Amino acid sequence: MTTSNDTAIDSKTTAIDDKKKDAFAARIRGFLPLIGFVVILGFFAIATGGSILTPKNITLILSGGYMLMIAACGVWLIMTMGCLDFSQGSMLGVSCAVFCALSQYNLVLAILGGIATGGVIGAINAYFHVYRQIQSFVVTMCVMFLLRGVCAFITTTSPVYAATYVTTFNDMTLLMGITLAVLVITYVVTRFTSIGHNLKAIGANEKAARFAGIKVQKTKVIVYIVAGCLTGFAAFINAIKVGSVTSTAGNMLETQLLIAMVLGGMPINGGARARFSNIVIGVLSYLILQKGLVMMGFTTEIQQLILGVVFIIMVALFSDRSSNQVIK
Amino acid sequence: MEQKLLLHAEKIDKRFGPTHAVNEVSLDFLEGEVHALIGENGSGKSTFTNMLTGILPIGSGTFTLMGHDVAPKNQVDANHQGIAIVVQETGTLGGLSVADNMFLGDEDQFIRRGIKDTAAMNRKAQELLDAYDLGYIKATSIIDNYDFEDRKLVEIVKSTWFDPAVLVIDETTTALSQKGRDKLFEVMDHVRELGHCVIFISHDMGEVLKMADRISILRDGDFVTTVNREDVDEDQLKTLMVGRQMDDHYYRTDYPDYAREQPGETAVSVRGVTVPGMIDDVSFDLHRGEILGIGGLSECGMHEVGKAIFGASYDRTGEVVLADGTKVKDINTAIDHSIAYASKDRDNESLLINDTIEDNIALPSMRDMGRVLSDKKLREFSDKYAVLMSTKMVSVNQYVSALSGGNKQKVVLARWLGKQSDILVLDSPTRGIDIKVKAAIYALLEQMRKENKAILIISEEIMELLGMCDRIFVMKDGKINGELTRSPELSEQDLISKMV
Repeated sequence: MTTSNDTAIDSKTTAIDDKKKDAFAARIRGFLPLIGFVVILGFFAIATGGSILTPKNITLILSGGYMLMIAACGVWLIMTMGCLDFSQGSMLGVSCAVFCALSQYNLVLAILGGIATGGVIGAINAYFHVYRQIQSFVVTMCVMFLLRGVCAFITTTSPVYAATYVTTFNDMTLLMGITLAVLVITYVVTRFTSIGHNLKAIGANEKAARFAGIKVQKTKVIVYIVAGCLTGFAAFINAIKVGSVTSTAGNMLETQLLIAMVLGGMPINGGARARFSNIVIGVLSYLILQKGLVMMGFTTEIQQLILGVVFIIMVALFSDRSSNQVIK
Repeated sequence: MEQKLLLHAEKIDKRFGPTHAVNEVSLDFLEGEVHALIGENGSGKSTFTNMLTGILPIGSGTFTLMGHDVAPKNQVDANHQGIAIVVQETGTLGGLSVADNMFLGDEDQFIRRGIKDTAAMNRKAQELLDAYDLGYIKATSIIDNYDFEDRKLVEIVKSTWFDPAVLVIDETTTALSQKGRDKLFEVMDHVRELGHCVIFISHDMGEVLKMADRISILRDGDFVTTVNREDVDEDQLKTLMVGRQMDDHYYRTDYPDYAREQPGETAVSVRGVTVPGMIDDVSFDLHRGEILGIGGLSECGMHEVGKAIFGASYDRTGEVVLADGTKVKDINTAIDHSIAYASKDRDNESLLINDTIEDNIALPSMRDMGRVLSDKKLREFSDKYAVLMSTKMVSVNQYVSALSGGNKQKVVLARWLGKQSDILVLDSPTRGIDIKVKAAIYALLEQMRKENKAILIISEEIMELLGMCDRIFVMKDGKINGELTRSPELSEQDLISKMV
C-alpha cells in the first residue's frame, strides 16, 4: 500500500485535507507546462532583447519544428502506454536514406518507402518488446545502435542525395499544413475513439488493462508501427529541408523528443495523466529553449548542460511516483 | 492462585482508511498463561497482534510489557524486546538456508570483526533444531528442500528459542498436521511453564478449549469479553464471537431443498483444467441461478481457477466451455461471452488505480458504444453504474486510488454490471471490506442469483462460503478435495477438515 493509505489511518480529517491538497496539486501540475512555456518565452524575449520574437526568427524556429512535431505524435502514443522509443533518431536517418534513394525514381514511391521503412523498424521494436518481452527501452536502444551502424554504412563514401526537385517543396505553408493535419488526425483519433482510453489504461497498469479486456499486445504492436510510420513520414520533411542524408542524420532526435515531452508535462511513465497538449506545448517550449540558448551565444556544450538540468527538473516535477512502476 | 500481570494493552486502536480494524481494545495478559484470542475473520485479532509484534505500526494506545512501554519497529526489534510471533502464512524465505532463515535480520551476533561466521551460525541453528527434536532438519540445507510443515516448524524454533516473554501464535495450526500440532502445543506448554505468555489465535474451538487458560473475544474490532476456559463451552464461544449479526440478514437465510429442485442450466463447464504448479485436473459445472463457492487454504490453487475460467491463466490446458459451445481461451473471448472477473489482487489486476473511475467502469464496454466516443456518453454510462452501486465519490473523474477498499470493489462490480455480464467469477469479493459494504455486496449477489445469473465465489473466508453458497468445493494442493451442499448443519469444521 502507498503512503496515501498510511496517512489516511491517522484520522479522517487529515485524509480529507490530503485529498484536497492532492487535487489542488494535480490541478497546478496540469497548468505547469503552459506556465513553463510562457516563462521560457518571456525569459528569452527579455534575454535576447525581443529579437527571438521577430517574424524571421519565429519562422526559423518553426521550420526546425515540423519534423519534431510529427515524430512527437508517434512518441507520445508510445509514451502514453508507458513505453519508450530510443530508436527514433536512427530510424529517421535510415528512413531518410530510403526516401532520398527512391526520390530519384518517383516522389510518391519515395514518401511511401520512407513511411514503410519506419513502419518495419517499429514492427521490429514491437516484436522484441511484445513477443520476446524485453523492456522497450532496452530493445529500442539496441535497435538505435544497429540503425546508427546502418546509417554510417550507407553513407560511408558520400551522403545519399535526394533528387533536386525535393527541396522545391520547402514551403512554409505546405509544411505547416502537413504538420497541422498530422496533429489534428492524432488528436481526433485519440480523443474521440476508445484508442486514447486504451493507451492510457495500458500505461496506468498493463495487467489490469488486460483484465479489463484491452488487447494489450495487439495495441502495442500497432502503436509501434504507427509511430514508426510517422517518423518515416517526418524523414520526408527532413529530406525536404536538408536534401541529403549523412551518417549523423536524426542524431539525438530521441533525446530531443524526450525532453520536449517532459517539458510538455508528459508523465515519464505514461498513463491517465498524458494529455494531447503535451505534444504541442512540449515541442514549442523545446524549440524556443533551444533557439534561445543559441541566440544568447552559449556554446553547444553549455546548451547541452542547461538542457540536461531542465530535463531532470521537469522529470522530477512530472513523474508519477505514486504509481511506483518502472518504464516498460 | 494469583498470577502477575505480564503484558497490558491500553486502548489499542487501528484504522485502515474508513475501516476501524481495532477499536480501543484494552487487554491484560498474565504470567504463565495461554491466552486465546478468538473472533470471526476481520474481527481484528491479527491486526491487534501484528501491532504488538511490529508487523504493523500502532495506530494509538500503548502496550506495556513488564512495566515498560513497547512499540516495536519490526519483528526483529520485537524479538529483542521479548515478543515473538509465528505467522499464519509462510514466514520463511525461499532460496536461503534453514540457518539463514532462523537468524534473518539478527545475524549481528555472529559477526566477528566485520565478517559473518557462517559456520558458527549453522552450528547454533543445528543445536537449536536438535534441542527441539527436529534434528532431521539440516541447518545448512536450503529451506525449499522442506515441505510446508517442516518450514513452519523451523519458524516455531526461530520464534521461540530465545524464550520470548510473549509468544503470538497466529492461526498456525490450520496448516499443520497432528504431528506439527503436537510439537506446537509442546512449545506452548513450555512457554507457559517458564512463566511467560502465549497469545493463541485459532479458529478451531476445540483446540482453543484444550490449550487456553483464558479466552478473549473480539468482534468487528471491538473487545467483547474475557472468559476462563472452565466457564464456557464451544457453543457459548460461537455465540460470543458472532454476536447478533447472524440475525441481521447479513448472509442468505434461505436453504433450498436441493434434492427436489432442478439445478439451473449449465453456464460454464470446466473440464480437466490444469495450470502447471497451480491447479491439477479440475472439472466442475457452474449453473445458472446458483452461487458456487470454492474454498481452501490461500495456496491451494483456488485463486488460479478463477483466472483459468476468465482465460487469464498462463500455460493452461483443459477446456472451459460455455453453454453455446464456445471455448474460452483468452480474456477477450471471456468478456465478449459475458464473463466477469474480480481478482483477489484488486489494486493490481482488477483496477487501474491511477486512472479515473470513469475509465475503470467504461473500459470493457467502450467497444459497444459505437465508433465515436463522446465525453458525455462515457460520463453518463459510468455515472449510471457508479451510482447504481452507490459508490462513495466526488465525481467519476476521481482517481480510483483515492477510494477505500469497499468502494474500489464497487467500481469493479459497476464495471461488470455495465457490461451486462451474467457469469460472475469473484475472487475474494469482500477481502478487506468493511461490514456495511460487505452486506451490500452479499445483497447484490443474492439479487443476481435470483436473476438467474451464474456466480462463482472464491474465498478464504469460511463463513462467507457457508453463508452465501449453494454448493462449496474445497480445494487442496491444486485439486478439488470435496463438495458440500448448502445446509444449516454445515460447519466451519466440515470445510477445514477437507482443506488440510
